[in-house]
Amino acid sequence: MPEGNWRKGIGGRELAELGAPISHCQMTDIVKLFAVAFCIQIILGALPAGAVDFTAAEQRKILRHGPWPPPAPPDPSNRVSGAPAAAAFGRVLFFDTRLSVSGAISCATCHRPETGWTDGLARSRGQRAVDRNALSLFNLRFNRWFGWDGAQDTLWAQNLRPLLDAREMGIGAAGAARLVRADRSLSCGYRRAFGAAPGADDERVFVDLGKALAAFLETLVTGRTPFDDFRDALARNDAAGQARYPAAAKRGLRLFVGRGNCAFCHFGPAFANGEFADAGVAHFAGSGRADPGRFGGIRKLRKSPYTLLGRFNDDPARTTAVKTRHVRLAHSNFGEFRVPGLRNAALTAPYMHAGSLKTLADVVRHYSTLDEERLHAGGERILRRLDLSAREQADLVAFLESLTEAEPRRDGGIDTEVPPCR
Amino acid sequence: MFSRRRFLATSAAATLLPSAARAVGAPMPIFDAHIHFSHDAAERHSVEEAVAIFERAGLKRALVSSSGDAGTRALYAAAPDLVLPSLRPYRRRGEISRWVDDPSVIDFLEDRLKRFRWVAVGEFHLFAGQMEKAVARRMIELAREHNLLLHAHSDTGAVDGIFAQWPDARVLWAHAGFDGPDIVGPMLEKHPNLWTDLAFRSEHAHGGRVDDDWRSLFAAFPDRIMVGTDTFTPERWHYVVEHAGWTREWLRDLPPDLAEKIAWRNGEAMIRPHLAQLR
Repeated sequence: MPEGNWRKGIGGRELAELGAPISHCQMTDIVKLFAVAFCIQIILGALPAGAVDFTAAEQRKILRHGPWPPPAPPDPSNRVSGAPAAAAFGRVLFFDTRLSVSGAISCATCHRPETGWTDGLARSRGQRAVDRNALSLFNLRFNRWFGWDGAQDTLWAQNLRPLLDAREMGIGAAGAARLVRADRSLSCGYRRAFGAAPGADDERVFVDLGKALAAFLETLVTGRTPFDDFRDALARNDAAGQARYPAAAKRGLRLFVGRGNCAFCHFGPAFANGEFADAGVAHFAGSGRADPGRFGGIRKLRKSPYTLLGRFNDDPARTTAVKTRHVRLAHSNFGEFRVPGLRNAALTAPYMHAGSLKTLADVVRHYSTLDEERLHAGGERILRRLDLSAREQADLVAFLESLTEAEPRRDGGIDTEVPPCR
Repeated sequence: MFSRRRFLATSAAATLLPSAARAVGAPMPIFDAHIHFSHDAAERHSVEEAVAIFERAGLKRALVSSSGDAGTRALYAAAPDLVLPSLRPYRRRGEISRWVDDPSVIDFLEDRLKRFRWVAVGEFHLFAGQMEKAVARRMIELAREHNLLLHAHSDTGAVDGIFAQWPDARVLWAHAGFDGPDIVGPMLEKHPNLWTDLAFRSEHAHGGRVDDDWRSLFAAFPDRIMVGTDTFTPERWHYVVEHAGWTREWLRDLPPDLAEKIAWRNGEAMIRPHLAQLR
C-alpha cells in the first residue's frame, strides 16, 4: 500500500466516476500540499450523495481484514491434519448416522452444508434439544478455541464433544471405536488415514476419529467475497476495483471499523479475535438455569483429557499449548461467549449463542439499542449503544452481506479425491 | 434444604469455634457486600428462590440494593436477618449514567427514606467531576442525616470528594475502584472510614492462590476488605453460589483469621453502627 499517496483518503469509486485529475496531483515538493488541498476540495465538493472517502486510519483498519485466505498451516497437535486420506475419512464420518446412539443423528444433522453448515434452528436438536445454536463450520481451522464456550482448545477435541454428549450423538468413546473396528468400510478409511488398523485402545481410536473429522473440517474455508475484492483493490490502490464495491457496503464498512467499533472483536481476516465477549445477550438456558458461557467452558477445559496438555496431543513439543496452559478463570467469564467469525454470516441465521436474533438486521439492531446496564460498568467498556439511524443499520447489513462468498459450496465436498474404501 | 434459622445458628456457633475446627465442618460464612435484586431479576426469581440461593451459597448476610426498589424491600421482608437493605438512587435500569443530573432522584430518595428503614445508600455510580452536582451532594447529605453507609462505585477522585463533603462518612468502595493494590492501599490509608469490596474482581487470586501484591494489601488492611458477587443481570443470580465457592477457595490461601475477616467479619463490623437504623 503506498502510504504516502495523497489519494488514500479518497474513495477510488469517486475518483473513477469523477475523472479526477490524478496525474496533476501526483507531484512532489511543497507545492503538493497546496495542490492536494485544492484537488480534495474539488473532488469532495462534487461527490455524489452517499459517497465514502476512507481516511488513512480507516484504510489501515480495513486492510487488516485480509488478505483472504490467510496461510493455513497444519495443526501440529493432529498428526493427520492436512492429509487428504484423513479428510476423506473425516467426511465419511461426518455424514454417518451410526455415530449416534440412536443411529439417526449425524454431525450433518445440525451442520447441514446446504444451510451454511448450520441447521437454521435457534437451539439445535440432536438426540434431544440443547441449549445453544449450532455454530457454522466455516473457517474453523483459524479458531483459537472451539464451541461457544471454548471448552475445547483444538478442532479435533471439539469433534469429540457431540459424540460424548447424550443430548447430541452420545455414542461415547467405546461405541465409536467398536463401530469403526467392526465396519469394513470405516476400518479401511481409518487404515488409510492413520496408516494402521484401529487398535484395541478405544479412547485412542475415538480421538483419532476426532482428528480425521478435523482434517475434513479444515477444508471448509470460505471463498473470496466482494469485500475481499474491495480490500485488495484498496491495498493496490486500484480505483476501478474499489469502485465495484457498493456504496452502502462502504458506508457500513466505515461504521464497522469506526463508530461501531465492531472490528475490536471482529478482528482480522476471519473477522474474529478468537476470544470471548459479553454481548449483552440474555443467557438463561431454560427454567432455573443460566448458561455460564466461557466460565463453564474453562471449567470443562481444565477437566478434559482431550486438550493440548493431555496425552492425545501429537506434538511432543506442545507448541500450540501455551494458551491452554495460561488460560485464567475470571468472574467476567460468566455469560461470555465466543466471538464468531463473520465470513458467510449471511448464510448462517439465526445468530448469537442461543439463536435469539433471527436476521443480520436484528443483530445490528441489538447493538444499536444495546442495554448497556447488562454489561458491567467496571473496567474498559468496549460495547456502547450505537443509536444507529435506519440507513446506518441498513448500511451495516449491506457490509455484512458483502462478506458472503459469491458461490458458497453447499455440497460438503472436498477437493482432493481419494479412492473409496471397499 | 439448609434452613436460614439453622444456617444462622451454625454461623453463630462457628464464631465461637477455632478456625481450624470450622474448616472441617460447615463452609466459611460469607458476608456478600454486593447484591442487586433489580426489577428484571425479581421478575425472573421469586423472593423464596432468591433466599434459597443465599442459603445454598452459605451467606451470613447480603448487602442488597436494586434498580427499582421493590426487590430489595421484598427480600428484606422475607429474610430480615439475612438481608441488609440499601437504597439505590435508580428507579429502573438505564439510570446509572443519568441519575446525577435528574433532580427527581432526590424526591425518590427522600420518599423512600421516609417510608422505609435502610442501612446504606447505594450502590451508586459517581465519578470525579460529578461531585459538585446538586443531586450527588444532596444524596450524601441525606446519608449523613440518616447515618447511612455509602456504597460507591467510584474512582479515587469521587471517593476523596465524598470525604471532602462529609469527613465522617463511612464508605464502601465498590470493586476496589477497579484499581490495583498500589492505588487501593493508599486510599485505605488516607481514609480510615473507607472499606472496599472485591466484587467482579478476579485478579487478586488465580487457581486458589492469592496474588502476592494483593496478599500484602490484605495483610496491611485486614479489617477493611470484603467480598461480593454483584448480580448486575438476572442471570448472575445463578452465579452467587459459584462466587461463594470461588471465594472460599482463595481464602484458604490466607491465614485463617485474615480469611475469616475478609469472608464476613469485616462486613459485620462495617455495618454494625448502621444496624440501629433498621429498628
